[in-house]
Parts: sequence; C-alpha cells; structure tokens
Amino acid sequence: MIDSTRPRVFLVDDHELIRAGIRAEIAGSVDIVGEADEVEAAIEIILERTPDVVLLDVHMPDGGGQAVLRAVVEQNTTTRFLALSVSDSSVDVISVIRAGARGYVTKNISGPDLIDAIYRIAAGDVVFSPRLAGFVLDAFSTGSDEQPVVTVDPDLDQLTARERQVLRLIARGYSYKDIARELTISTKTVESHVSSVLRKLQLSSRYQLSHWASERHLN
Amino acid sequence: MSITTSSHAVVGTPLRPLRRGRDNCILGGVCGGFATRLGIKERNIRVIFALLTLVFGLGIVLYMTFWLVLTRSGEEHSIIQQIFMNRREAQIVLVAFIATLILIITLQTTGTHVSDGFGWPLLLSGFAAFAVWRGASVDERLRLTDFFNTAPVIGGAFSKSRKGVVLRVLVGAALVWFGLDQLNHLGGVWGSAGSALLGTAVLVGGVLVLFAPWWLQNVRELTSERRERVRAEERATMVAHLHDSVLQTLTLIERAAANEADVVRLARNQERELRQWLFSPETVTSSSTSFVGLVGAIEHDVENDYGVRVELVTVGDCVPDERVAALIAAGREAAINAAKWSQAMSVSIFTEVEPTSISLFVRDRGVGFDLDAIPADRQGIALSIRQRMSQFGGDAFISTSEGEGTEVQLVMPRSK
Repeated sequence: MIDSTRPRVFLVDDHELIRAGIRAEIAGSVDIVGEADEVEAAIEIILERTPDVVLLDVHMPDGGGQAVLRAVVEQNTTTRFLALSVSDSSVDVISVIRAGARGYVTKNISGPDLIDAIYRIAAGDVVFSPRLAGFVLDAFSTGSDEQPVVTVDPDLDQLTARERQVLRLIARGYSYKDIARELTISTKTVESHVSSVLRKLQLSSRYQLSHWASERHLN
Repeated sequence: MSITTSSHAVVGTPLRPLRRGRDNCILGGVCGGFATRLGIKERNIRVIFALLTLVFGLGIVLYMTFWLVLTRSGEEHSIIQQIFMNRREAQIVLVAFIATLILIITLQTTGTHVSDGFGWPLLLSGFAAFAVWRGASVDERLRLTDFFNTAPVIGGAFSKSRKGVVLRVLVGAALVWFGLDQLNHLGGVWGSAGSALLGTAVLVGGVLVLFAPWWLQNVRELTSERRERVRAEERATMVAHLHDSVLQTLTLIERAAANEADVVRLARNQERELRQWLFSPETVTSSSTSFVGLVGAIEHDVENDYGVRVELVTVGDCVPDERVAALIAAGREAAINAAKWSQAMSVSIFTEVEPTSISLFVRDRGVGFDLDAIPADRQGIALSIRQRMSQFGGDAFISTSEGEGTEVQLVMPRSK
C-alpha cells in the first residue's frame, strides 16, 4: 500500500449485505466511487465514472458479471475488473476471466488480502487465487488420455513449463514473493508469467477451454 | 375377571379384514387379499382362480367382481363405492354396463357364437376392467399404469425400441391369425369369418367412438398427474436436503451464537457441503470412488475437528487404488499435523493427478519447526508419512524452518 494515489473502486453486487461487508473492509484503504446492484446500472455508471478497479460479482440476474464485462470492455480500456464470487464452478470462473476480468478471488478472502489484490489489479497486475490457478492448470492440462490435444496456435494453446510451475506454486498457497524465492527469479518475472497465462486464457481458442468443463470426468 | 378377552378370536393368526393386497399384488391384489385373510399361500389362491377360469371363465369374472367390491388395503372405499360417490363417474360406468349388456344380448340373439363359452365372461370382465379404471384411486391407477408400461408386450406400445415393435407385431399377427382360424372353424367358410370380422370391426369402431373422449381425457389427466408427482418429488428431495443441511446448521448457529469459533466452523462446514452439492454432485455420491472425493474428506475432517480453514485445490482426478489410499493416508496425517501444530489459521492442500504420478502438497504459514530437533513422537509421525509413501515407491519431502511455515510434498507414482 505504498501507492500514494488510492485506487478508485466501484462495487457491483446484487446483495446489499455483501456490498456493505466489502465496503466496511476496504473503505479505509481505497476510494469507493460507487455501487450498483444490477447489470444495466453498473454498465452505465462504470462508463460514466471510469473507476480504476471494479469489484464484480459473477452471479447476478440479467447476465451477471459477464454482461457487465462485455459491455464495458468494448468501450473502455482503463477500467480493470476483479471478479469476486462465492461460486466455485470452474465454468463460471473461466468465463469471467475470458470475458476480460484481470483476476478472481472468492468472497471469503480476508480484508487485507482483498485490499492487496485491488492494489495489484490497479497497478496492472493479475490476481490469481489458488483455486483459479487450479482451474487453469486443469483447463490447460494435456490430459492423461492418449488423444492428442488439437492445438490451433501452440503459442497460445499451451503453457510453458515455467508458467505451469508458477501456477502450481500459486495453487499450493505460495505468494508471489514465495514463488520468486523458490524459483530464484524476481517478483516481476513471476508477475509477467501470470500475466502471460491470463493472456493465453483469454485469447486461446483451444477446444478444451470451452468444452473442458463437460469433459472433466474420471477416465 | 381374567385378563384374557380374546376368546372369540382365532388363536395364533390375528383377525384381519378382507382387503385387497397392496404389497402382495400382481394385478388387483385380490388373491393376495384372500391369502392374507385366510392365512394361505398366495400361490394356492392364484391357482384356484386360474382353475376356476377354465370353467366358462368363472375365475376371471369372480376376480373382477372382487376387485370392484373389495376395498384396497390402506384405502377407505372400494372401487364400486368410489364410483357411486361421484355422480358423473356413476353415469359413465352405468352407460358402459348397459352397453355391455346390450352387446351380449345382441350377440346372443343374432346367433353369433362369440358370446358362447368365454365370450360373455370376457365381455363382463372387460366392462369390470373399465369400471376399475374409472373408479380406482390415483395411487392404484398409477400402480396399474406402471404395471402395464413394464409388461412385456403391452408395455412396448410406449417404447420406441425396435425390439419392442417387432415383438408386438409378432404377437398381434399371431393373435389375428389364431382368431381368424377359430372363426373359420366356427363358420366353416371364409365368408362367415369375413362377416364376423366386419361385425367386430363395426363394434370396435362404435365402442371407440363412444368411449374415446373419456379415455383420452383420462390419459391426459393421468400424464399431468404424473408430471405433478415427479415435480413434487423433486421438490421434496430439495426441501429434504435444505432442511437436513442448511436449516439445521442455521439452528445450530443460532444456538452457538456466543461462541465465535463454533459459528465459523459451522458456517464453513455448511458452505463446503452446499457448494459440493451445487457444483459437483457426482462426488457427493461417490466420495469413495474418486481421488478428489477422498481429498475432500480430508478437508472436511480437518476443518471440522481442528477449526482450521483448508484451502483445497485439485487438478485432475482418478479412480483410487491402494497407492492412492496410501497417499491419502499420508496426506491426511500431514494436514492434521499442520492443523494441530502450526498455529496457522489456514492450511493449503493442492493435488494434481498427472499421467504418471499423483502429487499432494500440504502447506501452512505457521510457526514451522526445526527438522533436526523434532521430538521423538513427531519424528514417528514423519516416519509414518514417509513409510506409507515409500511402501509404494512414493516420495515424501518436508520443508520447514522456524517461523517460515511448513510444506509436506508427497509424490506417488501411478500404477500402470
């Protein structure tokens, strides 16, 4: 929290209680510039006030976080999104990331961790919770079956060994600092690996990413 | 006075009212009812009815009569009573009865021999069956439709499978051929068979025209009834689940409101359970047949018993075998150690199933310890983790230092 300018944050969640809880936890460290409890209002006010970071609920009536993301990402490039959800459904999480969110955390995240995540998103970094790292590893797994993965663009459709390593460490509960020390690289390098994973996740046309959820069975 | 007042009752078998059977029934439960009442084997009663059928179809007529007159066990009224309690039903059934009588008399007077022998019992039974259908309780009707839907030949009418169609066509053709043959025997020439056929066709057509609307309405009512029943059942399962889980937990939370740790534990427990129910219902039923299910059990137990949050991330899944069991046992040991000794508020578990190996990591950011100075009893635990792993060629590695937390890394090769 060395950043002298406090990030301007906007809350989107259809539950009053959740918004109140988040507000209470982060109000001291960031500037909350508004709240919305429905998709349409959220799009309008976000476009009007252009906050730095939007805390976005994944599950809402009328299209949920994805609808907000799509509408705003089309118009605006400076606002960044952090998906916030109680959902553990991998399909939902991957979908909001692909729609343009820069990170995903669950709602039971602690206050300081959430503030930290907001600052990192505001600074242009990517926030991967352990669970998201697990989902991504799953989505990009080469699979234990014999069937070869059909890749359209190998640069986008596969993770490098290093990226995989970083994701595994995140999933194991390591912080970026821990990872940097473990792999003897700089924290910046860790961040660039994670960003590159996010880019692949958003751009890859890999067949598995859209369909993998239904194939995630025992073999 | 002595204590006994049962002098008039038959000793040994308790006196039971004559009711149609509910559990011991094939069609209407008449035989089952008699069996219960008389204390005889159902099979014997069935044999008696079958033999009576040979005597001009008497067995069938008797059966159908009892079906109509006897009350089904667990119900208030017999079918006949139910029909006459509803005026519209009574009219319909009366019309059907008169139509049957007219049919029998006409056939008799026109000299058609169809009504001889088995003819009239069959017609009467047909009418009785219709009456049963009109008057039976919803429950019995559902049972009967289920029965007919699963019956080998008639049931095929609802199935679209090729086998069923072929079977039905074969049986139908055989019956038609047999019927024609019989008619020919009676009439001697094809001509009389032909006119009899025409007559029958006209008859069937007339009956259809008469009763089709009622029948169709009935069918429609029944399907909507069934749909509602399915919906109600689904709702009931949902309600039962929410009641058993969420509602119970909420009550527990209310009671434990003063104890913060308890409330947190209860809430977490409930959250985890509900999540699993919502997002991966298959692991709920098969926790013992999937690796992820087994790891989930560790999460559950550790959170429950030690009040520590477990952050579980799993990648891939597999069917458990003895190696997996050993890995799980070692992982459980490690997770419990972390919860017990680390003083950390949360423990991370990460598992990954790869083509050749399964890895499991247990990490905490607690106090850690000096690996070289561990007390004897904890060395034992470390050994038991290591031993479990090495037994199947797996590796266990523990990295820790004071103040830095602990991570136990377990890698087990997969069996081919």
